[in-house]
Amino acid sequence: MAEVTLNFPRRDARDKLRGRTRYTIDRDVSGVLHAALLRAPVPSARILRIDTAAARAMPGVRAVVTAEHAPGRHGIGIADHPLFAAGRVRYHGEPMAAVAADTLAQAQAAAAAIVVELEPLPAVITMAEALGPSASLVHPDWRDYEVLVEGGAHGGNVAWEATVLRGDPEAAFARADVTVVESLFRVGRQNHLSFEPRAAIAAFEDGRCHIETSTQAPWTVRNVTAHLLDVLPSAVRVTVPAVGGGFGLKFDCALEPYAALLARHAEAPVRLVNSRQEEMLTCLSRENAEIRIRSAVTKDGEIAGREAVVLMDCGAYGGEQIFLTTMTAHTLGGNYKLGSVRLASRAVYTNTAPNGAFRACNGTYNTFALERHTDEICEAIGMDPLEFRRRNVLGDGNLGATGQIFEGDVLGPMLDRMAGLRAARPSKQAQAGDRLYGRATTVGTWFVFVGPSAATVNLNADGSATLVTSGVEIGSGSMMQGLPQIVAHTLGLKPQDVVVRAADTDAGGYDVGVGGGRTTVSLGAASMAAASEVRRKLLDVASGMLQTPPEGLTLANGRVEIAGRPGTGASIAEVAVQAQKLVGPIAGSGSFTGPGVAAMPGCAAGHFIDALDIPVFAVHECEVAVDPDTGHVEVLSYAVVQDVGRALNPRAIYGQIQGGVTQGLGYALHEEISIGADGSIRQSGFETYRVPLAQDVVPVEISLFEGAPSIGPLGTKGAGEVPILNVAAAIACAVANATGRRVQELPLTPPRVLELLLGRGLPLDFPHIATAWDDNLLRPLAAASWQGRRMAGPDAPGP
Amino acid sequence: MALLLTVNGEDRTSGHGAMTPLVDVLRDEFHLKGAKPVCREGFCGACTVLLDDHPVMACLLPAGLAVGARIRTVESLAPDGALSPLQQVMEEHDVVQCGMCFPGMLMSLSGFLAVTPRPTRDEVKAALSGNVCRCTGYERIIDAVLSL
Amino acid sequence: MRMKTGADTFHVATTLHGAVAALADRGHAGAPLAGATWIMRAPLRGGPQQDRSYVALSRIDELRRVEIGERDITIGACVTHAALASALAHIDGCAALVQAAASSANPAVRQVATIGGNLCAWDFASADLVPALICLAANVELTSPDGVERISMERFLARRSELAPGTLLSRIVVARTACGSAHVRLPLRRSGDYPVAIVSLAVKLGQNSTVLTARAAVGSVEVVARRWETLEAGLVGRPLDPQAAAALAGRCLDDFVARDGVEAAGWYRLAVLPSLVRRAAQALLPHS
Repeated sequence: MAEVTLNFPRRDARDKLRGRTRYTIDRDVSGVLHAALLRAPVPSARILRIDTAAARAMPGVRAVVTAEHAPGRHGIGIADHPLFAAGRVRYHGEPMAAVAADTLAQAQAAAAAIVVELEPLPAVITMAEALGPSASLVHPDWRDYEVLVEGGAHGGNVAWEATVLRGDPEAAFARADVTVVESLFRVGRQNHLSFEPRAAIAAFEDGRCHIETSTQAPWTVRNVTAHLLDVLPSAVRVTVPAVGGGFGLKFDCALEPYAALLARHAEAPVRLVNSRQEEMLTCLSRENAEIRIRSAVTKDGEIAGREAVVLMDCGAYGGEQIFLTTMTAHTLGGNYKLGSVRLASRAVYTNTAPNGAFRACNGTYNTFALERHTDEICEAIGMDPLEFRRRNVLGDGNLGATGQIFEGDVLGPMLDRMAGLRAARPSKQAQAGDRLYGRATTVGTWFVFVGPSAATVNLNADGSATLVTSGVEIGSGSMMQGLPQIVAHTLGLKPQDVVVRAADTDAGGYDVGVGGGRTTVSLGAASMAAASEVRRKLLDVASGMLQTPPEGLTLANGRVEIAGRPGTGASIAEVAVQAQKLVGPIAGSGSFTGPGVAAMPGCAAGHFIDALDIPVFAVHECEVAVDPDTGHVEVLSYAVVQDVGRALNPRAIYGQIQGGVTQGLGYALHEEISIGADGSIRQSGFETYRVPLAQDVVPVEISLFEGAPSIGPLGTKGAGEVPILNVAAAIACAVANATGRRVQELPLTPPRVLELLLGRGLPLDFPHIATAWDDNLLRPLAAASWQGRRMAGPDAPGP
Repeated sequence: MALLLTVNGEDRTSGHGAMTPLVDVLRDEFHLKGAKPVCREGFCGACTVLLDDHPVMACLLPAGLAVGARIRTVESLAPDGALSPLQQVMEEHDVVQCGMCFPGMLMSLSGFLAVTPRPTRDEVKAALSGNVCRCTGYERIIDAVLSL
Repeated sequence: MRMKTGADTFHVATTLHGAVAALADRGHAGAPLAGATWIMRAPLRGGPQQDRSYVALSRIDELRRVEIGERDITIGACVTHAALASALAHIDGCAALVQAAASSANPAVRQVATIGGNLCAWDFASADLVPALICLAANVELTSPDGVERISMERFLARRSELAPGTLLSRIVVARTACGSAHVRLPLRRSGDYPVAIVSLAVKLGQNSTVLTARAAVGSVEVVARRWETLEAGLVGRPLDPQAAAALAGRCLDDFVARDGVEAAGWYRLAVLPSLVRRAAQALLPHS
């Protein structure tokens, strides 16, 4: 077999460097109409009237559509989301109508000419308001909504509630020999700020809708669009050119149904692209969250009991957050051995823009909360934080929060690896000068979001292979590097001889989407299975040609050889030609889905994933300097030890880690979203939404930890998602260590840090999280006998 | 009145108005889609082009103000398909991810390196302070530049 | 939305007098266009559409010159930030202006954004050049069909949003004195964003670093930058001591009513002023 680990360069780099790559926003379509959305200017209102007559009569206008043209609802778990505000506006920026016209200016002018009469309604902007006494309901008709997945409790402004109970936490907290530590945390939203905005071009061809779009999940787009247009899913075809950044933003259906609906009504192709301001106003951000966590810990550092309530703001519609309530069990409930545990994870409706998926969804803030809480525990019991972690991290045979049994010692040896890195490099404390210096080491648990994938491999007569999947290249390189490497490795080809077809739902089979670190694992496993079938067929034909049984043949360097007799065989191209004559062209297909690792029965209620098929671990360490005068935090050094299973392309993984850590630094230090009293997001663009620039970043020292158990092909795990996981945790712990202050909120912008240093802020208080854990639940736990059921329905959820 | 523009050494005529942002003329009229309109307010750098050898943001430049100047876009860096040395090190170091910021990065760096051929790491970072990259975390791009 | 504008709405002037005449001719429908960076993004910020009749100034050579005389420095209104920083890099006393011009916005914007544009952007609280020029006691020259008028920065700032059509900011004049100057700005990132607070300070030092004269300006804290006279008065007559200057600044914070913004609250802009004053004083000490 060919060597599989190599720094294979990406084939799309050259065109991207030359400005020749055509992303969705760059595509020219002859005769295309331009579309604009009319968005609600208030967070909550009753729609008394929408009159589109004047708009329709304006020059160049070809179609105007509103809720009456697409009355269906979609969603994840619960179908709560209409395409257009129907009867009621639920967030500032919600689409109320869409226009297609000959030019964008005409479309925008016509959208502005639509007459809308709104009667303002009370709005709940914060989760405290949404859960407060006599809060107005974002969805007064929530009882009437179709439930797509049974199991989660929901009601009022709680879109979904997932709970975990293992052991007897009540008893643990009542023990005489434990110290009880309680921590509260709050984090804001994070905008992906992918450079390419959400964009789609839709056209009808031969009675079917073809959508070209900037998405990570073509099959979700296909299924949701079909549902909203009330056509068969097979009547929608989705193709995806190069995507200019996703990071989870494009894991959901977005603009595509508007473009498709307009194309149907205008009988012409329609292009719809969000402006940057629309991207800011309506981004499916990483959700803001509020967390209360308590632990009962012995003086030796044994965690006898842990309980937590996590509130996740889903905005006006449940969407991804309904699914993500699941992740609290595995992130906040992760990392450490727990004697007993109970967790409540609640997605809360507010009259704000819906949130969505973002790289290591839910994990970033739960890891921040867990690691800061861990340091607060260490302070309370007087134990060194590294020693505490070394004693308590999950190891071989330990139980996770939902009772799954973890395999292999991974986090412990990774902490040792980090200790080695620390010992090998001098501290940067001197660079802090007069500023406050702090350092911290944090651990994190994440996973690979497996699920269904399909692949086909065609062996061509020129000795190349074509890989057909519904995978999308969003920039991470998995489709450009990992997958061709796997196929080439299986077939004895060079990776450059494997052509990877761009995603097309008419060509590739079903796929959950590119995200959740699943590309190399799920699409990789399907591709390897497809390539293995090709290999079998290839060897069969070669066996006849070379008069040698298949077991006696090897595949390498584009040739089939008789084992031990190099040069006696034939090129793969020759075998492929021979195969076409004898049995027809060689093709193989493969598929994959998660095997479904078991949790302990009865531990998890309302979860979409009860246990992790492929856990992924990370250890991060950083040094910071805090300016006591201004609150500026400078990162002096950053180091990562990451569990990658097996590194197929180490250099590409380094790129993912440097980039993921940088996004994490933005989350930890710079990127802030605030919501005004009018329910709109105040940061309208790159000026006030500050992502890290080159001068705000340091080179990340990286050590890839290989060998941890994984069911991924060749032992791989996803490596692109996890690098962001514990950056905020590491930075926050280091800032707490530097300042001696209790860091409870993110991001740690200079004003927030100075507020901490000056003691200006009030301590956090969450009146909407009940002190007695049980009092938070919609459904008492005794009644929660629900067992995990796999997702079905039009929207495939995921991180 | 048509605007006469000199783009990548070629005289071009634009029918757009003088206040049209240069980035729209380049993309919509001349089909030079390398420059990306990402923020449209001068903060992201994805539309950076060279104007008389200086990096400028094409989103903030009225096309009328570019008349008489030499405009160079990313498409000019490898006219016959042979990558420029800067493009080459980017490819060799495997630093490209989604790629949307690179046309602007490359033009900022081209302008900068022409006047600062042997820069320090800090100088490269300062030169890139108007070019946002959301994927890569910058450092490996800077490694590539410093390898030139 | 983008506007299509024809010849009548875009005029490229090649002389100052031509520009003034063209602007006077257009009346309130006309507007000068220098680097255009502020005007081009205005619609995205809820500002006016680009529907004026613009008179482009960038081809007026006399407005693109920096003249360094023995007694003063005359800066044409169309000198870009980058050109300004480079022209004055080694001129004594101009450090505040050089630092302001070299660090504002980002490199590509500094290539086109002009000093005149920066001073005329009346709704831009964080403009770097404004406090720098106030601390240097700069005067500005206005040219109109009626002639040339020279007024102080403060007077200009008060008048700039309602200049009569045809009245153009043509030059900025900075007297050369024995003062040292420093410009300390505080962006939230290392650079690349607008500063949330700015202190520009010019002092003339005597023996033992005694402050003979002082002129301080604060930018970005209030809607318009302005002098900090109580700080100046407290500095004069004593040796320049960064810690003492910071303490003095801390006692004079009531002088300002700080603005709240999306990027920072007013209290923060005030809270960092003493340390910005300390840094400015530190930079002005002879040994530093």
